[in-house]
Amino acid sequence: MTSDIALSVKDLKTYFYTNNRCNKAINGVSFDIRRGKTLCIVGESGCGKSVTASTIMQLLPTLSRIEAGSITYHAERGDIRIDQLARNGAEIRKIRGAEIAMIFQDPMTALNPVYTIGFQIEESLKYHTDLSLKEIKKKAIDLLRDMGIPMPEKRVDEYPHQFSGGMRQRAMIAMAMSCNPKILIADEPTTALDVTIQAQIFKLMDKLKAEHDTAIMLITHDMGVVAELADEVAVMYMGNIVEAGSVDDVLRSPKHPYTRALLDSIPVLGQGKKQAIKAIKGATPDPYERPNGCSFAPRCDFATKECDVMPDEEYISKSHRIMCANYKAVS
Amino acid sequence: MLTFIIRRLLIVVPMLFVISFLVYLGLELTPGDAVSHMIDPEVASRISAEQLSEMREALGLNKSFLERYYIWIVNVLQGDFGHSLAGGVPISDIVFDRLPATLELSFIAIVFSTIFGCLLGVFSALKKGSLTDNSLSVVGMLGISIPEFFFGLVALLIFALNLQWLPIGGRLLPGYETIWDRLPHMVLPGFVLALMMTAGVMRYSRSAMLDSLSRDFIKTARAKGLPEWRINFIHGFRVALTPVIVLIGFRLPTLIGGSVIIEQVFQWPGIGNEFIAAVRGQDYPLVMMIALFSVFAVLMASLIIDVLTALVDPRVRLD
Amino acid sequence: MMSKSALDKKFDRIRSLEEAGKLKPLTGSRALRKMLNNRLALIGLIVFLVILLASIFAPLLTAHNPMKINLRDMLQAPSFEHILGTDKTGRDVFARILYGGRISILVGLGSALIGAFIGVGIGCFAGYKGGWIDVAALRLSEIFMAFPQIILVLLLVSIVGQSLINLMLIFVLTGWGAMYRLTRARVLSLREEEYVQALQSFGLSTWLICYKHILPNALGPIAVNITLTTAMFILAEAGLSFLGLGVPPSIPTWGNILIVAQDLRVLQNNWWLWLPVGMVISLFVMAVNFIGDGLRDSADPTLQG
Repeated sequence: MTSDIALSVKDLKTYFYTNNRCNKAINGVSFDIRRGKTLCIVGESGCGKSVTASTIMQLLPTLSRIEAGSITYHAERGDIRIDQLARNGAEIRKIRGAEIAMIFQDPMTALNPVYTIGFQIEESLKYHTDLSLKEIKKKAIDLLRDMGIPMPEKRVDEYPHQFSGGMRQRAMIAMAMSCNPKILIADEPTTALDVTIQAQIFKLMDKLKAEHDTAIMLITHDMGVVAELADEVAVMYMGNIVEAGSVDDVLRSPKHPYTRALLDSIPVLGQGKKQAIKAIKGATPDPYERPNGCSFAPRCDFATKECDVMPDEEYISKSHRIMCANYKAVS
Repeated sequence: MLTFIIRRLLIVVPMLFVISFLVYLGLELTPGDAVSHMIDPEVASRISAEQLSEMREALGLNKSFLERYYIWIVNVLQGDFGHSLAGGVPISDIVFDRLPATLELSFIAIVFSTIFGCLLGVFSALKKGSLTDNSLSVVGMLGISIPEFFFGLVALLIFALNLQWLPIGGRLLPGYETIWDRLPHMVLPGFVLALMMTAGVMRYSRSAMLDSLSRDFIKTARAKGLPEWRINFIHGFRVALTPVIVLIGFRLPTLIGGSVIIEQVFQWPGIGNEFIAAVRGQDYPLVMMIALFSVFAVLMASLIIDVLTALVDPRVRLD
Repeated sequence: MMSKSALDKKFDRIRSLEEAGKLKPLTGSRALRKMLNNRLALIGLIVFLVILLASIFAPLLTAHNPMKINLRDMLQAPSFEHILGTDKTGRDVFARILYGGRISILVGLGSALIGAFIGVGIGCFAGYKGGWIDVAALRLSEIFMAFPQIILVLLLVSIVGQSLINLMLIFVLTGWGAMYRLTRARVLSLREEEYVQALQSFGLSTWLICYKHILPNALGPIAVNITLTTAMFILAEAGLSFLGLGVPPSIPTWGNILIVAQDLRVLQNNWWLWLPVGMVISLFVMAVNFIGDGLRDSADPTLQG
């Protein structure tokens, strides 16, 4: 029996080289994505969440590269080292869309405005399946129906601008799910949508996970979403995963000062106006002026001398790991 | 689609009337009238004032401005464009005499510049930052910066005067000789006009293509695992097409109005050349009619642009 | 893996510098820095200034009078006395190019700036307020834009007659519409921005909002357009004068100097009469266009600088 791990990332480093500077956008992250489970990656904007997603898909911009580490996709036909595949080469193209699919943040701009929704869904099927054109058309309609789009026979021939935001994101998901991918990467899929629509989209994603045993990697900055959907959580800060574990581990007994600060900064519904919301002091450092040691140290209430050296990742339980020199003092 | 075209026509037609009125009014403000232009000043001094006013009456010049405009516009609508002051030739004869030459030259230039401009622009965008891209950018910049008549003169000097490969200008009448006799006359002006236009189309399609390639849907297409050619052409170029069509559409009026300066440099007997002669000779009716023809060409071109953009861009179509 | 690509080598270099702490954070205006980093735009600016200053300080650079006819020195080839030779009436070509630059640049840059001033002035207000001014200006600009530019210019020349002032007037008249439409379009989208609503709720006057708070945000594309219009007008002046229908031939301008090239014998035998001035026009227009490209790129946030 194969293991339930769909994709594993080890010590991944991705650096950006724009403006003749070197930005260590991802500075050594490791995690696994499991079948039928949702891994949530949380963090502030600019912490490297989206870069991680792009790296896995080999969708990085020209002025960036994978420096070290590995991305291993555990396919049925054997392990594939995605980090070693040529960008936009034939092998990665076979995986993209078919085995690992991605949904983007803004459904308004992620769809091509001059083609019908149907055309854009069918395109994926044309390249990754052997279905006939007729079957493809039928499948596109079925997909839209599955995503809860009313009158799919009619809407399949409509253009993106005729769809509402939520509908477009459903169409995006239909497109991503068209070839039954093993892994679905969703990069803040609901940030651009209304709250009520958000709930519908998440429900849909949960359903897909259960029905197709898809591994989901969900990128978000919303702790509420994490609590709702995640099986596992990884908290990212400045290109590192500072704390990772099961939902219970991370949300119920957070160990890293950053995770705690994040959780403390969320207002809780029903607690009224009197609740004390603690903001995290200071601001995210300039990515070019990273501290030598723990990157959260300058903003951390518990920082000591030991934090001047980059802390190692430590497992505090089988599932729960943390990157902090002083986590014992914190709890 | 039909209602779309009709709606646009409803804007174009009144526009033509307003412009014809303004042009007529403008020329009314110029010194002299048809009579003083037709008669030599020396002759005029010998003619009595009565004779002059009789002539004016015969030409309807004593009527009020609005009446004359009405008579004129009715004539124009019936295909009577009036007469040139120089020699009294019907303007329609002049226009239809010159139109084939202009069409011939402009058609070559537009087709050539559209094909090569788009190809080079897209190629340049796909190879952004490469040596080819940089060289093409410099060539494109030269193309839009060198005055077209200067470029024409240099080409004339090299290929016609020094190397004597090609004739210095003019055009042989169709049917007069075989196509092989006429072709050499066409090469230089056609080549110069086409190159100048290509530079503009190339620069424009390059930036349209770059803009299109930087959009989010390109990343989506890539994430679907599509091959690069399909991402670049089916997705990228298709979206870049709309602005490029608009630019090329703006060139269409040269089909009728001609390229005034190039026709002059190569003594190409087209409408542009005739227009210059008319402006120099203060042949106001002819100036006015050619200007109106070119306005008509512009408005028709914008109609064609609208229809074409509606065809390629569903967002416009369903508005 | 095969040997490292040039890009990889560049990355390695940047990374080692970065890790050695040798790269300084970027300071100053991002747009300005991008402009200065753009080599072509910088060269364009220098060429522009050199030609502009040479024209302004023409008397310091040449002792010859551009109008002075000297029939004894007709059609002389370039020499120490006449750097670029003399024309058919013995006038010094170099002096004519320098002094001609004054008029050509005045016509090109001046008309573009006046046209921009009018177009932006109306466009900003009309775009913000809407109403009859907007409708009227829009219709008017549509009328002007229904003509091919050169046909409209020639039509107006034949109506108002040929003079320097008339030519500038005609250029302004044909050029304001595009500026108006550009400004109007920018203002139409800017006025929906929240900061404008905030200013309205503070009770600021319309004038203050549109000229002090909206206009500066629309200046980027306007500046680019001014460069394009300047280049277009310089080319148009040269072309019209070459046809003998622009600036009256008695005044030296770049286009007027080139009239002689219509004579094929001059074209073949007296290169100094037309080649240098043609190259000066091309260089100047190219400089202006490079500045325009630089401005456009520096205003574009998607481009790295």
